[in-house]
Amino acid sequence: MIEVRGLTKLYGSLVAVEDLSFSVAPGEVLGLVGPNGAGKTTTLRSLVGIVRPTRGTISIGGRDLDRDPVGAKRQLAFMPDEPRLFEYLTVEEHLRFTGRLYGVRDSDGRIPALLRELELAEKAGALPDELSRGMKQKLAIACGLLHEPKALLFDEPLTGLDPAGMRRMKQTIVERARQGAAVILSSHLLHLVEEVCTRVLVIHRGRLVAIGTIAEIVGSRPDLQGRSLEEVFLALTGT
Amino acid sequence: MISAALYLSRRSLANATRRRLARLRQPKYLIGFAVGLLYYYLIIARRRAPGGGAWLPGSGGEALAILGLTTILVINWLFGSSRSPFAFTPAETHYLFTAPLTRRQVLDFKLLRSQLPLFLSSLLSVLLFSGGHLTTTRIVRVLGLWLVFSALQMHYGVAALVRQSLEEHGVTAVRRRLGVITVLTGVAVAVALILRRQLPEVQAAFAAGPAAGLDALGAILHRGVLGVIVWPLSALVRPLLAPDLATFAARLPAAFLVVGLHYVWLVRSSLAFEEVAVESAERMARRIAAWRSGRRPPPSERRSKGARRSLGHLAPVGSPARAIAWKNVQAEWRGSGVRLPVIIVLGVAAVAWVASLGAAAGTGIQVLATLLLVFAGMAVVFGPYILRNDLRADLLLWDLLKSYPLRGADLVAGEVLGPVAVLTGVAWGCLLAAFAASLAIDLPGFPVLDRLAALLATAIAAPAFLVVITLIQNAAALVFPAWVTLGPGRAAGVEMIGQRMLTMIGSLLLMLLAFLPAAVVAAVAVAIAGVAGVDGVWRAVPGAIGLTVTLGFEGMLAVAWLGRVFERSDPAAELGS
Repeated sequence: MIEVRGLTKLYGSLVAVEDLSFSVAPGEVLGLVGPNGAGKTTTLRSLVGIVRPTRGTISIGGRDLDRDPVGAKRQLAFMPDEPRLFEYLTVEEHLRFTGRLYGVRDSDGRIPALLRELELAEKAGALPDELSRGMKQKLAIACGLLHEPKALLFDEPLTGLDPAGMRRMKQTIVERARQGAAVILSSHLLHLVEEVCTRVLVIHRGRLVAIGTIAEIVGSRPDLQGRSLEEVFLALTGT
Repeated sequence: MISAALYLSRRSLANATRRRLARLRQPKYLIGFAVGLLYYYLIIARRRAPGGGAWLPGSGGEALAILGLTTILVINWLFGSSRSPFAFTPAETHYLFTAPLTRRQVLDFKLLRSQLPLFLSSLLSVLLFSGGHLTTTRIVRVLGLWLVFSALQMHYGVAALVRQSLEEHGVTAVRRRLGVITVLTGVAVAVALILRRQLPEVQAAFAAGPAAGLDALGAILHRGVLGVIVWPLSALVRPLLAPDLATFAARLPAAFLVVGLHYVWLVRSSLAFEEVAVESAERMARRIAAWRSGRRPPPSERRSKGARRSLGHLAPVGSPARAIAWKNVQAEWRGSGVRLPVIIVLGVAAVAWVASLGAAAGTGIQVLATLLLVFAGMAVVFGPYILRNDLRADLLLWDLLKSYPLRGADLVAGEVLGPVAVLTGVAWGCLLAAFAASLAIDLPGFPVLDRLAALLATAIAAPAFLVVITLIQNAAALVFPAWVTLGPGRAAGVEMIGQRMLTMIGSLLLMLLAFLPAAVVAAVAVAIAGVAGVDGVWRAVPGAIGLTVTLGFEGMLAVAWLGRVFERSDPAAELGS
């Protein structure tokens, strides 16, 4: 579903990401981990089309993001760590607006169900400044899920959520993967990665350090046998 | 407390200056700095006027100053914001509210910190209006203006606290305004009754000339009960108008008394509305934090009262550009206050009414129609600089926009169409109203049919002008985001003034380039219409069509190009996000 080949992004002489290749199949949850400045955000932003790669190809659902950006973006949803909302659109109007942009023909039918599912029905007519942090996050998620994307990208999805919100977010991620979406989750929270992700990609200084299930990664390094994920991560990234 | 406030102000100023100097290593800032310096040189150093400048000494000047101050205060009480000028920044909230300080000390700290910007504003105002020389008289002006600004700021602070408190107690804006209007009407009636006897004297003096009229008015303002009512205003403005240092010093105690009373009023109000003040500070902190994180808090400082009803329904399927335009129209509709339109409508009605007094029949309507035409013109020329719910606002959500499955050209078109639609509506409304008003009067040499032709021609051309001007503003934001203010904040510094000037010059050149071919096509269309036998003003209609078609074509080319620029842009590189 998500295919990345030789992804490289340079900012002048600074190498943000170098020759990164991986793929995420439907139903898979790939955890993207690495220390600060490793290139996780640049990778995610490249996958969503926010940043244009210097080299390499990205394909979403078989559509090349560079050659057919509109077709590729229709199949994906990006959930940034901070909900990005329009000040003067109500909750329902956000969904209506997003539905129109993504060409969701039956959005009139989907919106009420989604609002109920995410416990936003009572706030349908509210503007973002009337919502709590958690509700804003839910609205951003609702906007991302409305067009039933085949690829989902989460950047630090638990930021600012209360325990109940965290639990719901994890359920949402797992549920969407079960329904066949390919998911990439970028986070510093290693316990979240361990709990939710089927595979892990460790990135350091813009380069891929390791990829696979946690067992595979540990298996490839006999010296890491029996260590916690945190210790494995620190050993792989040399931090 | 004082030393801490002074330390913070001193270090903040020093560090801000150092950062601005460091920024000059980048060519665009250096060029901007040079242009900014040139600008200051041209408007200050080159405009050296002899003496103390165009100040109106004596009772006439004082009367004008009192009237001006009264107007400012009335407008503030009627339409002012609930946001206190003493709202705390997130850092101030964090450090001061948790520090072992009394609320009064916190307020003193804020008051002290606000004095430097007020002093600099006073200094700059005097320099701008008096040609750059700091003579003794002008130093007096600076200090006098500083006193006026300080008192005004404290007055605004109290007014904002009162408004917030009334809001907290569920008093609606309309009821608050009705209360203020009732009080002001009472005062106005009392003043009118007092003035009734002396009015003929003032009218006679004005008949002899404005200066004599103002002198007579000034004299009346110091007599009897009226003298007592306006004393605080008079005491405040008199140091500003002092002709020399000695007079200034003599007038200072009374002014200090007024400023001191304002201080006591502010402190007592702040302590009385402590909860309101704290909440306001926290709300302000949240707003600033939201801006810094790239989200857009609402411009209104009032607590949200819910969304205004949607303007039109967005169908689930259709052009994405129309969806973006719809979003921007909603933002204009919900983000705009009623303050400015109310002031404009009242102002227009008042001017038309005054013009009709004692004048020939129809003068009022003629003035009204003229003002409406002026507003239509202003909506077209200045509107795109005022309504900024397009890329200039949305580029703060650059990454979100880029994640949408949209062609860049669709996005740019939609962004531009929002404000253009709103401004077209305003311009057409004013044009139609002016035309309708003109039907009630006889305009020799300009029959109704010709007026209809003029209406059609201007109505056809207005949207095309709006598209071009708005597109240029959006192009500047997209191509030079670091040079354009995104969102409501304004970058400061000499180099930013220079950059803004460069942007303005560039915009003017682009406008010229865009309008030249359109003007040629319009002229050809007018000529062809003339040859075809179309009469007089009606030739303007094909001219307007030619102009609109040409500008529309240019607009389409510009949208396609800007769309590609958007698709290739990298928000992180442009804005450092």
